[in-house]
Amino acid sequence: MPMSSTEPRPLLVAVDIGGTFTDVTLQDTATGQAWMAKTPSTPHDPSEAFLAGVLLALEGAGRGASGIGRVLHGTTVATNLILEGRTARTALVTTTGFRHVLEIGRADLPRRDNLWAWIKPKRPVPPEHVFEVAGRIAADGSELTPLDEAAIPAIAARIRAMGAEAVAICFLHAFANPGHEQRALALLRASLPDLAVTASTEVLPVVREYERSMAAVLNAAVMPAVSTYLGRLEARLAEAGIAAPLLLMKSNGGVAGSAAIRRAPAQTALSGPAAGVVGARAAAEAAGVQNLITVDIGGTSADICLIAEGRIGLTQSGRVGPWPLPLPMLDMVTIGAGGGSIARIGAGGALTVGPQSAGAAPGPACYGRGGTEPTVTDAHLYLGHLTPALLGGRMALDPALAEAALARVATPLGLSLEDAARGILAIADNNMVGAIRVVSVERGHDPRGFVLVPFGGAGPLHGAALARLLGIRSVMVPQAPGVLCAQGLAAADLRAEFSRSIARPLATATTEEIEQGFSRLEAEAAAWFADEAVAEADRGGARVALMRYAEQGFELPIPWAGLAGLGEAFAAAHRALYGFDLPGIAVEIVTLRLTATGALHGAPQPRPTGGDAEAARIGTQPMRLPGGIATVPVLDRARLGAGARFAGPAIVTQLDATTLVPPGWDAMIEPTGVMMLHARD
Amino acid sequence: MICDPVSLEIIRGAARAAQAEMEALLERTAMSAFIREKKDFYTALFDAEGAMVVGSDLPIFGDIVGPVAAKFPLETMRPGDLYWYNDCYGSRGAVSHSNDQVFLAPAFVDGARVGFVMGWAHFSDIGGLRPGSISPDATDHFQEGIIIPPVRLMRAGETNEALLEVFWRNSRFPTQSQGDTRALMAAVRLGEKRLEEIARRFAPDVLADAFAQLLSRTETIVRQKLRATFPVGTTRFTDAIDSDGHGNGPFRLRLALTRTEDDRFILDTSETDDQAIGPVNLLMHPDVPGMALGLYFLQGEDGQVLNAGGPRALDEVILRQGSLLAPRAPAPLGLRGITMMRLLAALHGLVATARPGEAPAAHSAYVVVALRGMVAQKSFLMSDGVGVGYGARPFADGTDAVYFVAQENYPVEFMELSYPVRLLRYALHEDSGGAGRYRGGCGVVRDYEVLVDGAMLAVRLDTVVNPPWGVADGMGGGTGSAIVNPGTAGERRLASLSDGTVLNRGDVLRLATGGGGGWGHPHDRPAATVLADVQGGFVSAKAAARDYGVAITNNTLDAAATTALRATRPAAGAFHRRAYADVLD
Repeated sequence: MPMSSTEPRPLLVAVDIGGTFTDVTLQDTATGQAWMAKTPSTPHDPSEAFLAGVLLALEGAGRGASGIGRVLHGTTVATNLILEGRTARTALVTTTGFRHVLEIGRADLPRRDNLWAWIKPKRPVPPEHVFEVAGRIAADGSELTPLDEAAIPAIAARIRAMGAEAVAICFLHAFANPGHEQRALALLRASLPDLAVTASTEVLPVVREYERSMAAVLNAAVMPAVSTYLGRLEARLAEAGIAAPLLLMKSNGGVAGSAAIRRAPAQTALSGPAAGVVGARAAAEAAGVQNLITVDIGGTSADICLIAEGRIGLTQSGRVGPWPLPLPMLDMVTIGAGGGSIARIGAGGALTVGPQSAGAAPGPACYGRGGTEPTVTDAHLYLGHLTPALLGGRMALDPALAEAALARVATPLGLSLEDAARGILAIADNNMVGAIRVVSVERGHDPRGFVLVPFGGAGPLHGAALARLLGIRSVMVPQAPGVLCAQGLAAADLRAEFSRSIARPLATATTEEIEQGFSRLEAEAAAWFADEAVAEADRGGARVALMRYAEQGFELPIPWAGLAGLGEAFAAAHRALYGFDLPGIAVEIVTLRLTATGALHGAPQPRPTGGDAEAARIGTQPMRLPGGIATVPVLDRARLGAGARFAGPAIVTQLDATTLVPPGWDAMIEPTGVMMLHARD
Repeated sequence: MICDPVSLEIIRGAARAAQAEMEALLERTAMSAFIREKKDFYTALFDAEGAMVVGSDLPIFGDIVGPVAAKFPLETMRPGDLYWYNDCYGSRGAVSHSNDQVFLAPAFVDGARVGFVMGWAHFSDIGGLRPGSISPDATDHFQEGIIIPPVRLMRAGETNEALLEVFWRNSRFPTQSQGDTRALMAAVRLGEKRLEEIARRFAPDVLADAFAQLLSRTETIVRQKLRATFPVGTTRFTDAIDSDGHGNGPFRLRLALTRTEDDRFILDTSETDDQAIGPVNLLMHPDVPGMALGLYFLQGEDGQVLNAGGPRALDEVILRQGSLLAPRAPAPLGLRGITMMRLLAALHGLVATARPGEAPAAHSAYVVVALRGMVAQKSFLMSDGVGVGYGARPFADGTDAVYFVAQENYPVEFMELSYPVRLLRYALHEDSGGAGRYRGGCGVVRDYEVLVDGAMLAVRLDTVVNPPWGVADGMGGGTGSAIVNPGTAGERRLASLSDGTVLNRGDVLRLATGGGGGWGHPHDRPAATVLADVQGGFVSAKAAARDYGVAITNNTLDAAATTALRATRPAAGAFHRRAYADVLD
């Protein structure tokens, strides 16, 4: 779909569909002006709420549908299908002799699971739906046995007979030579034109057959539903006269057009937390913050990501539920700690928090929807960190229910309610701190040099406490921390990775061959740019060499600036990350990677419009502090303008989140609208 | 109580996080496939006196710190020290074969010792009789690689480089050894730093109290469960390994667990057979049975950690010098995993004897084949750990194709990129899972075509003569085999523990591994589940009819024939190994 047009179309619209509400942000890229709309989600057909929200936002802005230049959306359709085991009936076509590739996996009993209690998760494709075909490619890519093309029609018939909706193909060593896969793909597509058919090398051309087979299977298994879903969205948009391209968030933090996502929907499977991180980075960048750790705390989990010098790292160690999915994704850690995490007493009198969660239903006890077990949110309410009304008064919290729930753990442990509440928060905070340390040490960073950026509905309640534990002195709370995803969508660029394995000792590598390798990748990227209609001036690319010591299993990404100094740069990165290097041991360049970006020039950050802290004060409330109960001011975030300053203890409320400013912290609203908290001591 | 429940949980979480960091570092920087691909490494934290407080869920550790402290008194240790050993006899079995290197660092706060951190990994070659250092041919522990007694590798941050040089010079793959050593050292240093941080944050006495509570919590739970499981009196169980690779066997492990009137628990292993000539001896540290029972009893106890509290729940462990479980030096130990895996099954056998139906059925012992030779003038060592089937449980089927705790297989593509072999098949081993209401896990079949001349093969398989037993009316698991050039005129079946077989280009090795025993009567397994087993290649139609009484033709259930088959329900029994029996011998 062309992105340029004669008519000016300055509006972008970002749609984030949650379990309860669909949030829409409409922004004018020319002026930075933004409008938000919220409408109940429609789980039976999410496209209803999608369109309703867009129209509501247009109405609120008084603008027409024709002014929309692009539509951005993050979808968890693929993720949810996989997690809930509701994927399409799928067949896998594999190399003869390897029918049980999924069933055997990596013999991967998780390290922290009990050998005697662990139950192997049911595979998305059972072995009776795996079909073997003869033909063999060697590890070096040469053909050992030709593909048995004559066998394919019979396999197609069996796939038809089993009632499959999707087919994945994964042959051994296809990453080295995709010829057989492509041939089988063509034949199966021809004989099964109404089925979704995908080959592993289209999704993920990397070594390790189990992981690649699983990626292909998951991709195939979500194709029908994702395709249907995107079809509905596009039909709705067309219906409403919106002729703008639909762009979807990928796990790598970039967006891609719907055609690309239809081919490889697995690329969205780890995208859930990505938009928020992109939004946090955009807010931080505008505020001049380059080094940040983001903590996105929702109801059931917390996602933690480290951004150094403005760059978000990528990893290929992602998982969806129990399945590996080594597609490039933002390098982050997810743990089971959120506002709904339940506190319990385990055997031997241990107080634990999570990973069980009260979720949205019944939710924390204080929501009054039938929950009786104490949660993190109940602890916050008891301590006075939350006002008894949320969502601008649309939701009332019941302190009596929170107290009753807290008593369930406090009484048996002989703790006061206050100590129990404080304990629950301390445990939840420490679980998150542990995860933050993993993220930072794996990247060789000392968290003390970073700004903590908490977001998500529960994030800003924990930001200062987490920072204190980590020795971090500055916390940046974005303008709309509860709906940062929409801003992330608006700020994202088109992004894709292209890579090529070269496996060359550094000692014998030549500049010429590496330059050639990158040139080939740039040719692939050029085709992709053309597909996505990216203008010449908006195209960008970063060249990285993935390097390791000979015989290691993991590579480090080293920016390519020529061969000179490459070895030293690698050794320095290894030292920084792991604390040692290995002088005298051969270094290899394993892979060349090109990250291609198509700049979309998202809207500038909206500016805050309010006044000083006194003007924003909307009341007071009692807060339980270690020294006793204090009466603390409650401020309305929407009325806090640039330059407003105040000192903790204080509570800042807004529609989508509550920020706790504890004693010992000073808060200030920056010109870009973010609220900075600084430790005083 | 100095440490409140909240701080306790925080300290436990922080210790787990420290382990995760150490493991991530090790996995990312180690060089040998054994560590980075198979992940044969573990970490643990200890209290100031050396009791393991937060370990891995691996029940094979003995008293790790003790052997170091015996030589380097605790009070002489300083910040920046790093200790190292792999000495099995010198540590009374704290490590039980020499490939496993233990690196240990004390952590200090303001000059006071607050605990220890361990990094432990299997090094792929440390010298010895054959590449890989472990061989069924070994008859003397000195053939199993260089022995490092407890030594101080670093003193106050200063490394004894000469010691490392000696170690690396004794490996056939010195670069790997060097990379792995550095990775392990870095991981331990990281853990030391984390433990110090935890101690500083909570104050050393709070940390010490937290550690004491974690130990006593585990001890209390294990003791409670021992009391709930075993009646007063003596419960006995016997299991057996097949052979020692030198024509001897089977060797019986005879366990007798006594609960006294005053609730003391005494495990007596002294009636176990004499030690073996071959390397199947398990130098069992007296802490090991308590660790193993701890792992079993901590199932479903979220938030608990396996630690030295497990061994404390057993009041006494009696060993007989000169037996398979307490061999005299220098009996070889390399394949002690075989005996270890039987020991774990035998401990479950004690539970099953005391509480019929409660314990899982037996599992096969994990399998390793090693192929060594030269390719392009460079020597190679392919040491391939292969999964087996685990025992069915009162609540679920046994796990298919698992090696052991937290260890992964080598992907076929990795194998072919790294070694001169081609994998022709990697599949589940049909009918290897014991029949039962819950089916035993299946082993696997791996067919290797050798692409080089003159490669020497070692095989280690057990549970062939004495298959894993089924329990509570369930049937025993299937057995493994190693066959060269199957289905050809030159077909030969290799001894299940053997070395020195020379394979040439074009030879095919078919390795099949054993399964786990079944739990419950096979006729109680729903016919639809048996049908899925047949369709998925877990169970053959023949076995479905014979063992399960389920008639399946052309992958379709024959309901009438099934009813007829199930009309007569075969008699069953408490245990099954080739035949039902009330007691196994």
